[in-house]
Amino acid sequence: MRKTSPAISFLTICLVCLVFASSCGRQNADVIVAGSTSVQPYAEILAEEYERLYPGNAVDVQGGGSAAGITAVQSGAADIGMSSRALKDGEKSLWSVEIAKDGLAIVVNPQNPVTDLTLEQIRKIYSAEITDWSEAGGTRAKIHIITREEGSGTRSAFEDLVMAGGRISAGAIVQDSNGTVRQLVSSDKNSIGFISLGLVDGTVKAVSLGGVEASAANIENGAYGLSRPFLFVCLGEPEGRARQFIDFVLSGEGQRVLTHEGLIPRAEGAVK
Amino acid sequence: MTEPGQKAKLETKDLHLYYGAYHALRDITMDIPERAITAIIGPSGCGKSSLLRVFNRMNDLIPGASVRGEVLLDGAPVYGKDTDAVTLRKKVGMVFQRPDVFPMSIYDNVVIGPRHHGIRRRRRLDEIAEKSLTRAALWDEVKDILKKPGSSLAPGQQQRLCIARALAVEPDVILMDESCSALDPESTMKIEELMLDLAEKYTIIIVTHNMEQARRVSDMSAFMMIDENKVGTLVEYAPTMRLFANPKDKRTEDYITGRFG
Amino acid sequence: MRRFKEKLSGRIFFVLALSSISALALITVFIVAKGAPIFVKVGVRDFVFGMSWAPGHGEFGIFPMIVGTLSVTLGAAVLGVPLGICCSIFLTEFAPSVLKSVFRPAIQLLAGIPSVVYGFWGLIFVVPFIRDRIGGPGLSILAGSVILAIMILPTVIMISEVSILALPRQYKQNALALGLTHWQTIRSVMLPAAKSGIVAAVILGVGRAVGETMAVIMVLGNAVALPKSILDPVRTLTTNIGIEMGYASGEHQQALFATGIVLFILIMILNSAAQFITRRK
Repeated sequence: MRKTSPAISFLTICLVCLVFASSCGRQNADVIVAGSTSVQPYAEILAEEYERLYPGNAVDVQGGGSAAGITAVQSGAADIGMSSRALKDGEKSLWSVEIAKDGLAIVVNPQNPVTDLTLEQIRKIYSAEITDWSEAGGTRAKIHIITREEGSGTRSAFEDLVMAGGRISAGAIVQDSNGTVRQLVSSDKNSIGFISLGLVDGTVKAVSLGGVEASAANIENGAYGLSRPFLFVCLGEPEGRARQFIDFVLSGEGQRVLTHEGLIPRAEGAVK
Repeated sequence: MTEPGQKAKLETKDLHLYYGAYHALRDITMDIPERAITAIIGPSGCGKSSLLRVFNRMNDLIPGASVRGEVLLDGAPVYGKDTDAVTLRKKVGMVFQRPDVFPMSIYDNVVIGPRHHGIRRRRRLDEIAEKSLTRAALWDEVKDILKKPGSSLAPGQQQRLCIARALAVEPDVILMDESCSALDPESTMKIEELMLDLAEKYTIIIVTHNMEQARRVSDMSAFMMIDENKVGTLVEYAPTMRLFANPKDKRTEDYITGRFG
Repeated sequence: MRRFKEKLSGRIFFVLALSSISALALITVFIVAKGAPIFVKVGVRDFVFGMSWAPGHGEFGIFPMIVGTLSVTLGAAVLGVPLGICCSIFLTEFAPSVLKSVFRPAIQLLAGIPSVVYGFWGLIFVVPFIRDRIGGPGLSILAGSVILAIMILPTVIMISEVSILALPRQYKQNALALGLTHWQTIRSVMLPAAKSGIVAAVILGVGRAVGETMAVIMVLGNAVALPKSILDPVRTLTTNIGIEMGYASGEHQQALFATGIVLFILIMILNSAAQFITRRK
């Protein structure tokens, strides 16, 4: 063709405009918070409260797991990442602050007669050394182990605190959020799982650890050892609207909200 | 009208055929002599095939089809309450217009009938296959290629295979619905010879639009036409020689002299 | 002017067709480029036949997932194919037209249900049923097979039906005229004649099952171990990618892309088989 038809030129220009327009989609107003599904429900409550107090400041909370959140922050896809475990070596260059502590509850079905387990027992159950409930004080039944996906901060915390270097059995059922783990444990009589302490409700039962009940009080006084920090992570020193939101979360107001929801308020001076 | 001394293999008395509300055939009364060839001729659409299909109850496949009047095979009712169409069709076989061999080997095509009627032993089936293919004048051409698919044969051979297939069931009656119209003249001739041969053992009824063929092979001829109400009816039924030489009805005469098609 | 317009429309169609092929090419190149390095690092045999998938420890063996895909798909075929073929026979040979007019839209509706809805229904209904009435945790190969069997039913039924309806009417007539019963006709003449169409239907259905992710991710249990029974939880190649892609990076991400390559090859084999069989008619 010697002359480019005007129709083709017009179509090309339209296409180019579309491509540019789509990349301009993101609103600069929203603070994007993504990551741990353990932190997510609390972040959502904080966001609601924040938007109520300071109308016009939108905060968008997404899940995906701790590892996904950290990746999102590194790539710039999110302003703030949520993590339910301490930062790993490769991540230490990121800016982070602890917004609260959360307990890690080991939960079983309410109909399960077992109410107490030692750390050792839990470790053996999860590594499939113990496979039957009768070996742990319950009735004869095969134990159905439920774990989180590898990118989960909750799972990392569990592995650090309980497994002590050992591996979770390959036959464990894998679910991708606290919510689904809880739902599964509540419907399967023979299952065991681990979720955020703040999410334990009437549908599941948290076992006591060597006699110590899983509660916020016992975490604060150190008797219940399974706890992990909830972190907000940023690429560098946070600025602008992200900074404003973080300040709110760390303020008395934000901490009151979190305590009300079952978390343990952060220790003073825990900013990096 | 059978010739004196010849038994009627099939009989109809005041036969009416309906497809739902549509009246297809009326007042058909005829005797089909055994071991002879009866031809049903007439212009297109006059109900020849419908009449043929009455004899093996293939009309049952058409929803809403119903029959009034009597149809008898060896004196027993064809449409009786206790008559089973499947058993009937073992005695009254049919060869269709197009040579539709099944998509399987020549051997399997021939023995499919007997196989489903309970004959399982390989040797018996082999015997049946050879006998039927011989009777259909096809054995010599296929005896070494029995495993090849039926579709690998020429159309004329395929039609003979269909005849062999029908014969394998050991019927008494063979209905042939325009069985030569899809074939070339040479194959047609072979099949006409076959018909004459088979008529020594079987009762054969053919439907044909080819008057010359009717003249050549049939013993009895039945001429059909649609009447003023568009219902098919039997105009004249007589030994072939007589019908063609001396038709009693003017309509018959008009037809065989070619005044209408 | 008219000649110019014709040339122009020809060129436009060419460009459009090219763009769909280039989309395919782009995806293929992308997946292979991203995934191939792991084959180099780990070795094809160790990757494909390795028994242990533990990215956190640097272990990338996908054999349990291959077994997962094959077992769930096979289960779906065993449950869904006979049922589907019987349904298509019922529709073509036995159903009165009143029933037909209810059945066909119902089956098409089944085909339109989004996979995630199937998964959700499976989680709420099928999993507890298996757990309480049969055994195991309920999240299992069996649950996945049941869901997938229902999902592939419309494909199997509709294509088998078309194959049977495409048969020359004469086959049935000739068979009945020989004194075969209706069922004998279906079994010995019609089904063998429709065989290649039905096989194509089955392969297409199976192909859909192999690629399905959303419907099964909720009901399979996603355990990384090799399953020992149909009541064991399992992970398929597709669900493996689905669960981990949100947070995978580095070698882990490469391994997921390599899983995609394996899936690609699997589906290509299935499609070629389908084409080969239908062409042999």
